[in-house]
Amino acid sequence: MSLVADLISILLNGLQQGAIYILLAVGLSIILGTLEFVNFAHGALYIIGAYVGLYVAQGLVVSEGYLAEAGFSDLGLGMGFIVGMIVVALVVFVLGLLFERFIARAFYDRPDTDQILVTFGLAIIVQEILRVSLGSTSQPVNQPTWASGSVPIPGVAISEWRIYIILITALLVGIVYALVEYTDFGLVVRAGTMDDEMVRLLGIKLSRPYIIVFGIGAALAGVAGLVAGPLSPINPTAGTDILVPAFVTVVIGGVGSIRGAVAAGTILGITQAALIQTQIGTYNLAPWSQVGIYAIAAIILLVRPEGLLGEEVDTA
Amino acid sequence: MKAAGVAGIAGLAGCTDSLTSGDGGDGGGGNEALGNYPIEGDTATFGFNIPLSGPYGSEGQDELRAYELAVKHLNNGGGWVDSQFDDLSGDGVVGKTIDYSEADTETDKGKARENARQLIERDNAIMVSGGSSSSVAINVQDECQKQKVLFMACLTHSNDTTGKDCVRYGFREMFNAYHTAKALAPVLGEEYGEDLEFYQLYADYTWGKSVEESMRQFLSEGPGWSEVNSVATPLGTSDYSSYLSDAQSSGADVLLLNHYGLDGAKSVRQAVDAGVDEEMDIVVPLYNRPMAEAAGDAISGVFGTVAWDSAIDNTPSNEFTSAFQEEYDRIPSGPAQLAYAQTLQYAAAVERAGSFYPPDVIKELEDYSYSNIGMGEETMRKCDHQAQRAVPVVRGLPADQIETGNYFEIVNTTEASQVTYGCDTGPAAQCELGPYE
Repeated sequence: MSLVADLISILLNGLQQGAIYILLAVGLSIILGTLEFVNFAHGALYIIGAYVGLYVAQGLVVSEGYLAEAGFSDLGLGMGFIVGMIVVALVVFVLGLLFERFIARAFYDRPDTDQILVTFGLAIIVQEILRVSLGSTSQPVNQPTWASGSVPIPGVAISEWRIYIILITALLVGIVYALVEYTDFGLVVRAGTMDDEMVRLLGIKLSRPYIIVFGIGAALAGVAGLVAGPLSPINPTAGTDILVPAFVTVVIGGVGSIRGAVAAGTILGITQAALIQTQIGTYNLAPWSQVGIYAIAAIILLVRPEGLLGEEVDTA
Repeated sequence: MKAAGVAGIAGLAGCTDSLTSGDGGDGGGGNEALGNYPIEGDTATFGFNIPLSGPYGSEGQDELRAYELAVKHLNNGGGWVDSQFDDLSGDGVVGKTIDYSEADTETDKGKARENARQLIERDNAIMVSGGSSSSVAINVQDECQKQKVLFMACLTHSNDTTGKDCVRYGFREMFNAYHTAKALAPVLGEEYGEDLEFYQLYADYTWGKSVEESMRQFLSEGPGWSEVNSVATPLGTSDYSSYLSDAQSSGADVLLLNHYGLDGAKSVRQAVDAGVDEEMDIVVPLYNRPMAEAAGDAISGVFGTVAWDSAIDNTPSNEFTSAFQEEYDRIPSGPAQLAYAQTLQYAAAVERAGSFYPPDVIKELEDYSYSNIGMGEETMRKCDHQAQRAVPVVRGLPADQIETGNYFEIVNTTEASQVTYGCDTGPAAQCELGPYE
């Protein structure tokens, strides 16, 4: 393999792996930065998005759990991936609104530990409901037929769908960034983040923008669940597994910073890809790829305890 | 701890009646207390230590179904208890009703060892079974050896389980990586040709390393293939794309994915999605039904070996499939057959010994020959407690033939005589079984 193909491969693999972290981390980060709410149920929204998306886009065969016992073994609408993504975004957005209104809001003024307990408990409840309903068997998610080839670059083995994941992430995160940075809605949200008491004194009600922030964060997690589906068969515990790297991305990027989350996700993804694909003599660095992520995290936090772009939140 | 305490009291009391087996259905009069023997009361408890979550969670769920079915048949008759195991009667085992406790290993060796302690010390398990991960099985059987409780290994495929980490109190029905490589290498040589280059990705723990080493050995010795590179991947890796990019660019002809469970489903699917299969032939040395189900049509054309499959057409296999389907309305996987078989094998050995006294049961299992679990003639070898048995070699069906419950075809069932090895060679050469008592 030529050096150029090597670098392209590392770049594309890294960007794609980082993209999933970014989709999750942006939602997590804006909720944490704006509402100061620690949402351990973010992974549950991810897996709900994956299952709803699978149901709408493709369909699933259920061979265990309550639904199978009740005779519902072939489920699904088969409406395609694009419809699936739109439906997932809407459904999980609404779930996010309901979650904020009926659960999260009651915990805004409570300690972080209370927030962690309630959201972690909720995540387990969702996981178990999925498990008893649909079984714990992993469900394959096919790549959309329009993205099922591989990238036509000699020496680079990457499926087209991974490129689409990068593009979808860029588009969605770009929209959210524009919404927060360049609209009146975003201005209110940012002002509320800096000094919510002053904003309220100015007669602006913050509950509405806050609930929408929550819904947007949730929708991003849901879409992440569906777009990551073709990379890894989904099962009820997948949401819990992805939560840790998502939180690491938020912390490295700086809580509340969209640009920070993007930078952190990209750095983590490329670090991981580079370590896996680098060989020094006969020694392959792949076994250090997981360690590498946390080493990078430790170095960044030692140098900038507030995260890469953490200050931006305080001064924005 | 409990076991040691009981044994100590037994010594002090000079083997009082209460601590020796009487004739109350256990029939081992005169044997000293050992492990959780003798059993008090009318119920004997089996401990099932299985992965209900983690990368091997799907396999664990199916194992649990089979364990529950085995317990049901031991107490009430049915399945192989009625048809294949003459030693069993369907009214318990040597007069005891069988009960069970289960624990989730989470596919973690530390958790699995702690579970084993609890199953033995808290639930008084007289036998422990389980597995799915070899590091789990090795740790649990080590604990069982210390506590003098039998471990009937379910799914564990590392050479070390009955090689350098073998124990007197552990028995393995499942074949190992050495057997797999001996069975698979000739098939691959015939299918793809000789003097090819291969590249390996392997799960970074005892099992993955076993498969990697054995495949390298037999692909070199057999069809004369040479290894280009071999790369370890962490257990539970979510994205293999970077590993696959490197593999594809290596120029090798064949890619071996030594991953299992959900990890195996992910790596083979990601390889096919990335188009790796257009330039390399993909082999997954060990796979199973839940894996193939999760991988979908990515498994098409992929060679591997399986513990057992419902497509193996003989009386015991068909009876097990039928009993399992009747109970759960689903086709059993290879790990399920192992779980069911190992539970009944233990119970039958107890019946032959006439007692749950562990050394007597061990001696009944050692060098025991049988042909009642659907895999032909087998021997549970005395020197390493490794079943010498046939190995089914399979190939994923074409995409248009894949339906629920039908993912691969049996290419051949390599006879035990073709894959066996001596007690002083291969993994067995490193095996030193511990004491009986």
